[in-house]
Amino acid sequence: MKKLFQLEKIKTLSYPAFKTLMIIHFLLFFLVVLIFSRVHFSIPGFSVKGLYQFPNIWEFFPWVASWFNLFLAIVVILLVGNEFSFRTFRQNVVNGLSRNDLITGKLIMIVTIAIYTFLMVLLAIIIFGMVYTNGITFNIVFEKSYLILIYFIQAIGYMTIGLLIALIFRNNALSIIMFLLYFAIIEPVLRLIFKAEARRFFPAKIISNLTPTPEFLTMTSEKSFTTSSGKSSLDFQEIGLMPESLPLGINVVLAAGFIGFFIALSYVITNKRNL
Amino acid sequence: MEKVLEVNQLSKSYGNILAINNLSFSVNRGEVYGLLGPNGSGKTTTLAVILDILKANMGNYRWFDKPMDKLTRRRIGSLIETPNFYPYLSLWDNLKIVARIKDAPDDDINYALGVTNLLKRKYSAYNTLSLGMKQRLAIASVLVGNPEILVLDEPTNGLDPEGFAEVRNIIQSQANEGKTIILASHILDEVEKVCSHVAILKSGDLIAHGRVGELLTTVDMVYIQSEEMEGLEQTLNNANFIKKVFKSDHDLAVVLESGYSATDLNKYCFDKGFALSKVLLKKQSLEDQFLQLVK
Repeated sequence: MKKLFQLEKIKTLSYPAFKTLMIIHFLLFFLVVLIFSRVHFSIPGFSVKGLYQFPNIWEFFPWVASWFNLFLAIVVILLVGNEFSFRTFRQNVVNGLSRNDLITGKLIMIVTIAIYTFLMVLLAIIIFGMVYTNGITFNIVFEKSYLILIYFIQAIGYMTIGLLIALIFRNNALSIIMFLLYFAIIEPVLRLIFKAEARRFFPAKIISNLTPTPEFLTMTSEKSFTTSSGKSSLDFQEIGLMPESLPLGINVVLAAGFIGFFIALSYVITNKRNL
Repeated sequence: MEKVLEVNQLSKSYGNILAINNLSFSVNRGEVYGLLGPNGSGKTTTLAVILDILKANMGNYRWFDKPMDKLTRRRIGSLIETPNFYPYLSLWDNLKIVARIKDAPDDDINYALGVTNLLKRKYSAYNTLSLGMKQRLAIASVLVGNPEILVLDEPTNGLDPEGFAEVRNIIQSQANEGKTIILASHILDEVEKVCSHVAILKSGDLIAHGRVGELLTTVDMVYIQSEEMEGLEQTLNNANFIKKVFKSDHDLAVVLESGYSATDLNKYCFDKGFALSKVLLKKQSLEDQFLQLVK
């Protein structure tokens, strides 16, 4: 494991695009949270400052960070795609690594990146939370702290999907396009074929719902739209506009299951195909 | 002599194309073993199979009298097709990756770069190197971990004469250190100058193998003609001072055992009742020999 970590460290830290994307990821996240903290909404009962206070900040910051999981997935796609472009996967096997080692190394890299982003969000939460929260108590600070661990799982989820797509397509540009297409079009369209209940169980949906819109920001809890005549003309859940929500615990278990499945598939693909 | 590699009836096909067909040969410790053949003869496929990059359809091979495993892989340094490195990494970092995989110390990297005359460029990015330097780095990567066996596929590919000579010197110096080297090449000169043994491939078939000195040496050829060519050929095939007889256009080409001359051949034919209308002594070039074998 240590050897594989060292190998990935040499390859990753010197890769210019990795440094660029991680810097962008870091700056974008902090820029958004800083800018948002300066925004003033004149909505009765709603204060932006509330999002920066414990315990709401545990929901808000991972939700913001989840917007940038795409960068993390693209980093993984690039690093894996390069191994095929440069034929270094093959060379590493010739030099003595097993095919399983190739994937294990990438998984170690994924977990490391997830730890980095976890620490980044945690640091931001601590700093902003301490600044904006009055009357800090142990209970208030840690009430929803588990949500950052769920964000950690989500980051891994996005990156393992990126890993699998990169292993299938073996080309950086095509893999990135397919990744974006899957999240933006393919899965949403596939979900429409199924009934509302079943739509909640698709992988991209499950993984993105790990950081749902914070309750503080949810503007409506209505499941349907009621017209002035009192009749419902649209069922939001039926047409997929309403966020379909599974209990968080089940969502986490399903996400972990999908992640495990993607990882297993990654190993199978690598062992079956020519390098 | 210890057998380091044994190949038994190895066959590999890509769909309907039979790349190698029923190959059997063995390599002993300390030999510099050449796989010689034209492009498409199956050299690279053979190396890829014995290095476990490709799976054979039939047959088997054994390294050090056992199947390939992780430990065996560490004892072999290999260069297959074009060298593959991370272009954005320095020479040092690229070789560090190889060293980590092989559990080799960093000193090996300096040694390998020294042997290949790349020490001054060790912190340069790979994508700034010339073709010759890239090929030398490929050989350096093979040397990291101080493997007992070197497997090299066309190591002089794309090099100019100076680069060619440099690589040849490196191979010879490693051979002098006692390493066993398996070298695939389509360049006759390379094999003849460097290898002790050779297997000649053509369209996936092994058509000859043995010592280079026996298979590929510049020899004297005697071209003869007579009125009864078929009878003459049959008679000469039974003569024990004649190494080889084959038809060459309208002549019979005869290779004599060492110590015998064209005069001896002429006398023998006369004694057997064949009057020769033509006796021509010519030196057969290495290229002629090789082309004869692969025809």
